[in-house]
Order: sequence, then structure tokens, then C-alpha cells
Amino acid sequence: MTPPSISIVGTGYVGLCTAVVFASKGYKVITSEQDHEKAASINEGIPPFFEPGLEDLLQRVLKENNLRCVLTSEEAILNTDVTFITVGTPNKPDGSIDLQYIERSAQEIGEALKKKETYHLLAVKSTVVPGTTENIVKATIEKYSGKRCGINFGLCVNPEFLREGNALHDTLHPDRIIIGEHDKKSGDFFEAIYNSFYRAEMPSIIRTTLPAAELIKYANNIFLATKISFINQVANICEKIPGADVTVIAKAIGLDKRIGPLFLNAGLGYGGSCLPKDVKAIINFSKSLGYNPIIFNAVEEVNKAQPIITIELCKTILKNLPGKQIAILGLAFKPNTDDMREAISIRIINNLLNEGAKIVAYDPAAMDNAREVFGNDIQYANSAIQCLKNADCCILTTEWEEFKKLTPEDFIQHMKNPTIIDGRRIYDPKQFSQKLKFKAIGLGTLT
Amino acid sequence: MCFANKGFKVTGIDIDSEKVKLINMGKSPFREPGLDELLMKALGKRLLHCTTNQEHALEKSGVSFITVGTPSLPDGSIDLDFVGAASQSIGEALKKMNKYHVVVVKSTVTPGTTEKVVKPIVEERSGKHCGSEFGLCVNPEFLKEGSAIHDMLNPDRIVIGEYDKRSGESLEKFYKDFYGESMPPIIRTNLTNSELIKYANNAFLATKISFINTIANICERLRGADVKVVAKSIGLDNRVSPFFLNAGLGYGGSCFPKDTKALIAFSKSLGYMPELVEAVTKVNEAQPFKAVDLAEKLIGNLKNKRIAILGLSFKPNTDDLRNAPSLKIVNFLLKKEAKIIAYDPKAMDNAKKIFGVKIEYASSAIKCIKGADCCIIITEWDVFRKLKPGDFIKHMKKPCIIDGRRIYNTAAFLDDTKFMAIGL
Ligand SMILES: NC(=O)c1ccc[n+]([C@@H]2O[C@H](COP(=O)([O-])OP(=O)(O)OC[C@H]3O[C@@H](n4cnc5c(N)ncnc54)[C@H](O)[C@@H]3O)[C@@H](O)[C@H]2O)c1
Ligand SMILES: NC(=O)c1ccc[n+]([C@@H]2O[C@H](COP(=O)([O-])OP(=O)(O)OC[C@H]3O[C@@H](n4cnc5c(N)ncnc54)[C@H](O)[C@@H]3O)[C@@H](O)[C@H]2O)c1
Repeated sequence: MTPPSISIVGTGYVGLCTAVVFASKGYKVITSEQDHEKAASINEGIPPFFEPGLEDLLQRVLKENNLRCVLTSEEAILNTDVTFITVGTPNKPDGSIDLQYIERSAQEIGEALKKKETYHLLAVKSTVVPGTTENIVKATIEKYSGKRCGINFGLCVNPEFLREGNALHDTLHPDRIIIGEHDKKSGDFFEAIYNSFYRAEMPSIIRTTLPAAELIKYANNIFLATKISFINQVANICEKIPGADVTVIAKAIGLDKRIGPLFLNAGLGYGGSCLPKDVKAIINFSKSLGYNPIIFNAVEEVNKAQPIITIELCKTILKNLPGKQIAILGLAFKPNTDDMREAISIRIINNLLNEGAKIVAYDPAAMDNAREVFGNDIQYANSAIQCLKNADCCILTTEWEEFKKLTPEDFIQHMKNPTIIDGRRIYDPKQFSQKLKFKAIGLGTLT
Repeated sequence: MCFANKGFKVTGIDIDSEKVKLINMGKSPFREPGLDELLMKALGKRLLHCTTNQEHALEKSGVSFITVGTPSLPDGSIDLDFVGAASQSIGEALKKMNKYHVVVVKSTVTPGTTEKVVKPIVEERSGKHCGSEFGLCVNPEFLKEGSAIHDMLNPDRIVIGEYDKRSGESLEKFYKDFYGESMPPIIRTNLTNSELIKYANNAFLATKISFINTIANICERLRGADVKVVAKSIGLDNRVSPFFLNAGLGYGGSCFPKDTKALIAFSKSLGYMPELVEAVTKVNEAQPFKAVDLAEKLIGNLKNKRIAILGLSFKPNTDDLRNAPSLKIVNFLLKKEAKIIAYDPKAMDNAKKIFGVKIEYASSAIKCIKGADCCIIITEWDVFRKLKPGDFIKHMKKPCIIDGRRIYNTAAFLDDTKFMAIGL
């Protein structure tokens, strides 16, 4: 088949990464973005967020004329065969999913399809609670287009599993592709697109119903959140046992094939734009079905309490916090991204500010975003070393590579009171605790 | 047994003289695939011998493994009486020995037990110093009942917790001699970490099961969702891994329920409430009752209905009924005044000890479902997987089936029978 042209509605994180990857393989891609500034910046070759490798690739596909960003969904849809919906799906204050962007984009798509003669395929890539695609997307599009799903247009759910910081690689080499299909024709068409995209490297594919595909995305993320809260709980037990160390436990259980070593790093908890929001949304959704998922509640509770441990550790070490200078290394919710949505650092810093501490922070990528969050409430350093200067205590909150290179001497030389709380277990406890005051998540008193 | 069959001389010690007699006659006191054969071989080559006399046994050996039971007390905390008694007799035997000997705790014990219970008892009874005169290790066991021999011969990893370097070296050398070329990865750490590793491992697997059962419970409320598809899909994520993701009636057996409870009680004793593990146990406690809920949805009031139960053991390939979900299910059905007929390929004798005349026993799956109003699959034995919709149609009064372990092809059964399943 001649490669279909592709449109993408919502050019945020997922939308732009998907667009750029398709365009890089020669597909004609048009993205739409309601935010004028974002759209302009994309057309100039500057991604509105940081992602390794993205800027280069974006500039390449713009030069090759395979990608452009427009301001209306209509323009994108009328000029393409297939549309991915990648708008945001945040939480409402009560934790339930906020579908306003989904509803709006479905309406725009419906209105555009009304003017289109040929068959069009739609795929929902945004994470949505089970039933949304059938009950809201399909119903809205049918209403505004006057056309029938399964006949005039096709509909699939195609959850996205990319990880920020690794997005391009993940899009090119996914573990598997999930296609939830409204009808067989939609699923066949969609599978064909991926077949021609991946060819010999086609990953395993699972075709299922719309609600099952929607649930798979949540189940996947909640499992990962569960793994993290699980190991954090083991870490909290370890802290109370002399000689125990959660990194040893994680390594040993990770060798069990039924467990696996990934996502078993104890730390300050999960953050970011996906796990916290998806855990909340599925809890809320499940309750709306009359089922209280007590495990997921517990996963969330453990995660909420986890950052507070550093505050407690800080208090025990420094006795009282008012006036003390705390160096925060790492602000992004994880390394290799500038994303600070639901970052653990925010909760830690706000708590410390409440206690009257002074904060100096440094992150290799997230400084601009941090200024938007904290304004003048904290000080900003322009290197790790500068951040440590004169500090009474340093909390390591994000495990960036460059922080792993710091030696005990770096801390001793620059800090007023060389004390580290290793929130991500990147330092060797033996080496560090011989030379300075060292506390870490999941580390019992050394014996 | 595994040690003996690689040419190691092994002495088994048990306080239960019945068991000792049986074993020396070549009869294993429980069912385990391949075990009887290995036992005969080992006895034949005179590499294995069982006794009730500890002193005699220890004198000849360089390493002793403590593998006594560590059951739960009523409050869920660990009962260390057997460990204490075994430590005493080992200490007494050590007293009369004049060469270095390594004591290895293989039983699952809470962190600190080896250091605070085993070591002082052995030291006191032997009058010897741990470290200089005898060695002490923790070496948690990860075998699964039903594939115990395979698991011992091909472990994912060996964990050695060591009191001192010499103890650890001795045990590592022992395993290197045993595994030779196929030595698995080894983790050497201190006693406490290795004690906790075993609990963390089991608690995580229990978490996986309660996790997928929670997803199953959501699926049941969603038209068009099926937990099997969800599990298969997320299992392809290498951060998740496909194992231990089968939705069903919950975990049972002698390990997961006891170890999760012991971990909770232990953690609470340190002043920390592990709420996630608690939630895992709560989900598991409720899960067996789903079978009864589904049965009621399918056939209505259960009073005087004849219910066929396929599978009683807590999992296939074992006759072990300890904490099996079947116990809860059968008792609950009895309370609802249903009539029960049960079949299990191996666990019938154990079942008779528990249920006596309160239920009927069949001698095959087909005989079990004969004339039944409803059939519940509780354990996923291979023989049950082979049953076809036609078998149920032919023999049951009405073909009403509850698949508690998701062993049947959903489409085929939905077409021909009245069929409900966990997570469907
Ligand atoms: N970020 C991730 O790592 C990730 C991974 C997997 C799945 N997801 C899911 O993908 C979806 C998108 O996530 P994201 O992080 O890319 O969100 P985002 O907020 O970065 O991007 C969404 C974009 O859509 C735009 N938009 C909203 N309504 C629009 C409309 N009607 N027309 C055109 N543009 C519109 C917004 O302006 C925004 O730029 C979410 O459902 C999320 O859960 C995200
Ligand atoms: N069963 C499993 O699958 C499994 C797997 C891994 C770990 N474990 C752990 O291994 C330990 C043993 O489990 P099990 O299932 O073999 O228990 P079990 O109850 O089957 O066997 C324990 C045996 O020890 C004997 N015994 C008790 N006190 C003794 C003493 N002082 N001297 C000699 N013999 C004595 C008992 O008579 C009994 O035969 C437990 O801590 C368990 O948690 C079991």
C-alpha cells in the first residue's frame, strides 16, 4: 500500500515524538496544536520540551518537508488518511479523568470528517479510562460528522508506552503494540500501517476490544507503580533493621525471572505526568464501577508518604530546619527530561520551605521549569558544585548521570556541613559514610 | 535428595520417626514429581540415609541445613519453636565434634532470627564460638512445590547470607562443587539481608497475584474486557514479566500466606505498617469467595444444588492442601447448604482428612461432574484442561461452569455451555 499520510491532534509530548518518528521514515505528517506558541516553535525546529535526540530529528524532518504543525484539526484531517489523537488527559481535582480535551478534539474531528468523502482511520493514543473511546469519542464524532463508525470511518485504541527521556528509542522499538479495534476493518487497516512501518522488526501485536486496550494501558502503569511502591516499602523496612540494605534485596529478587530487575529501584517514589495521574484515574474509575481497589489505594498512599521520609531524615540530622541551607540535586521527575509534572522534588522542597529551610537547587535540564514552579521562593545554582556551596545538607532527588560522578571530596570541600541524603541510592554507602554524614533510602544502620 | 544424586553423602534428620521410617523404605511422605525415583536411586547408592539421631548425623558431615517448618502463630507472626529446637540439637551435636562445621538456615525466618536466635542457642549448647569454631549462613530456598527438583537443580540464583567470610566461602564452595559448570549467579550478603530477601521475594509474587486479581475484578465489571488479554499484554513489557500474572482464586499453600503475614507482623513490630502488603493479603483473602459469587450468578440459590469441585490442592502437581482456596470455597458452599462432590488427581487422601463425610469424593473428573448442577474449576490440573464443552454437556445435569483458573477457551465454552470465569 502507498504509505498513508498521518495527522496528529495534540502536539505535546506523545504527539510530537510520534509525529517526528513517522516523518523520519518518510511518512507525510501534519500535526495540529491549539497552542499557537507551541505550534510556532515546532515549525521553527525547537521542541517545546527537552527530549534527547528530538531536536535534531525534528529539524531533519522539517527540512525534508515531511512534517508541519497547523493550528486546526480540520486542516490536519482533511489532508491525511489516518489520525492519532494525542491530547492530554489530566485529572480533575477529585482524581477522576478530565476528558475535556478528548471531547473537544472529537468534536473538531467530527466536524472535519463531515467535509471528507473518503474513509478515515482514527486512533486514540491518549490514555483514557475504559469505555471512553466507545461512549465519548465515537459518539461525538458520529454526532458531528453525521457518519457511521465502522463504515465511513474506522476507530482504534492504540495506547502509548513510550518513556520520557527514551521516547524516540521506545517508539522505534516497542516491546509490543496493542490495538483495540471498533471493528475488524479498523484493526486490519491499523495493523497494516504498523506492518509497513516496522517491516522485519514488527514487534508482537495484540488485537483486542476497545475497552480491553484502554484498560491495558492503566494496568501496565499501575503495575509499574506497584513495583515501585513495593520496593519502597521494603526500603522502609530495611531502614529499621541494622545491616539491611534495600539495594541488595532488590538485586537478589530481581534475579527471579518472575520478578525481573527493572523498576525495582527504591527511592523517593514515582512522579511525572503519567504514573500519578493514571493511578488516580483508575482508582476513581474502579470505584465508579462499585469496586474499591485496595491495592491501588495502598500503592498511592505509600507513594505519597515516601518523599516525607527525607524531611524526617533531614530533621534528625540537622535537629531544627529554620535557617538551614539545603542543597537539592535534581528537580526533574526523572533523569534525561526537563519534565517537572508531579515531580517528587516539588513536594520535598515545599515541605522544607514550610519548615523554614532555605533551598538552593540545581538540575541539568529542568531549571526553566523550576523557575515557573518556585519563582523566588528558592535559589538556583548553575552547577552541582555551586549548589553544594555552604549547604548544611544535600538531598539527592533525581539520579542524573552527572550526580553519580560526584565524590565524597566534592561534598566535603564545598558544603558547610557535609551531609548527604541519598534519595535515589546512587552512592556507595561504605565509601561515603566513612568520610561524611550519609543517610540513604532503604539503608539500615551500617554494621 | 538433589544433593545425594550428585554423589554427596546426605543424612536427613527428622523428629517424626514415622517419616524417617517411610523415607528409609523409599517412600516419600508427600507427592512431588520425580521425587520417588530420585529417592530410590539415592538410597540404592547408599548416599542418603534418614535418622532421628542428630548427633550421629552431624559427626560425619561438614554442612548442616536447617529446614524445619516456620509456621505462623495466630497473630500472623512467625513461630520459631522448631528452629529453636533444631538449633539446640545441632549445638549439642557440635559439642562433640572437633572439626569446623557450617550450620545453614534454609527455613524461611524473619530478619535477625539467625543472629539472635540460632547463633546464641548453638553457641550455648556447643560451648563453641560462631565464626572461629563453626560457621553460620542463611541460604533461603526458592523451590516451588510441584517442580521442586527442577528448581533445586536450576535455580535463578543462590543467596548466601554469611555470619563471616569463612562461613560464606565454605558454603559457596559447597555449591560450586554441586553445580560445577552450571553454577547459577550467587549473591553473598549479610545474614539479615538474606533473611529479608526471601520474604521480599514471596511478598512480591503475592503482590503480582493480588494485582492481577484486582484487574480481574475490574474486568468483570466491564463489558468486552478480559483479564487474560490484559495479562498477556502487560506481560510483554519486560519491566513486568509474564510469570505469576494468572488471575484466579488467589494464592494458597504453605508459603505465600504465611510469609506475607509474617512480613507484616515483623514490620509492624518495627513500628512500620506495610500497607501495600496488607492490601495484598486482604485481596487474597476475599478472592476465593468470587467462585461462590459467580456460581450464584450463574445458577441462583445454591441450596441443595449439586456442585462438582475440580481440583483441591493449592496448585497443580502437589497434594498439599495447606491454605488452599478450595478449603474456603467448599466450606462456604457447605454453609449455603450445597451438596459437594470433589475430585483432585492427588489430594484426595488429604481432603478426606479435612472434610470427612461432609462432602462426596469422586474417582475421576468425569465421575465428579456426573449429574452436577454446576462445576467449579479450582485448581488448574492438566487433566482438567483437556475437558471439552461436550464432556460437561454430556455428563452434567446442566452444563454450568465456573472457570476459576481461566483454563478454558472462552469463546468455545460461551457458545456451548453456561460459562462464567474470573476476570471475564
Ligand atoms: N508523556 C508521556 O510519557 C506519556 C506516555 C504514554 C501515554 N501518555 C498519554 O498521552 C496523552 C498525551 O500526553 P502528553 O504528555 O503528550 O500531554 P501534553 O500535555 O504534553 O500534550 C497534549 C497537547 O495537546 C494539545 N491539545 C489539547 N487539545 C487540543 C486540540 N483540541 N487540538 C489540538 N491540540 C490540542 C495541548 O495544547 C498539548 O500541547 C495523555 O493521555 C497521556 O496520558 C503520555
Ligand atoms: N514448601 C515450600 O515450597 C518451601 C519453599 C521455600 C521455603 N520453604 C521454607 O522451608 C521451611 C520448611 O518448609 P517445609 O514445607 O519443608 O516444611 P514441612 O513442615 O514440610 O517440614 C518440616 C519438617 O521438619 C521436621 N522437624 C521439626 N522440628 C525438627 C527438629 N528439631 N529436628 C528434626 N526435624 C524436625 C518436621 O517433622 C517436618 O517433617 C519453612 O521455613 C518454609 O517456609 C518452604
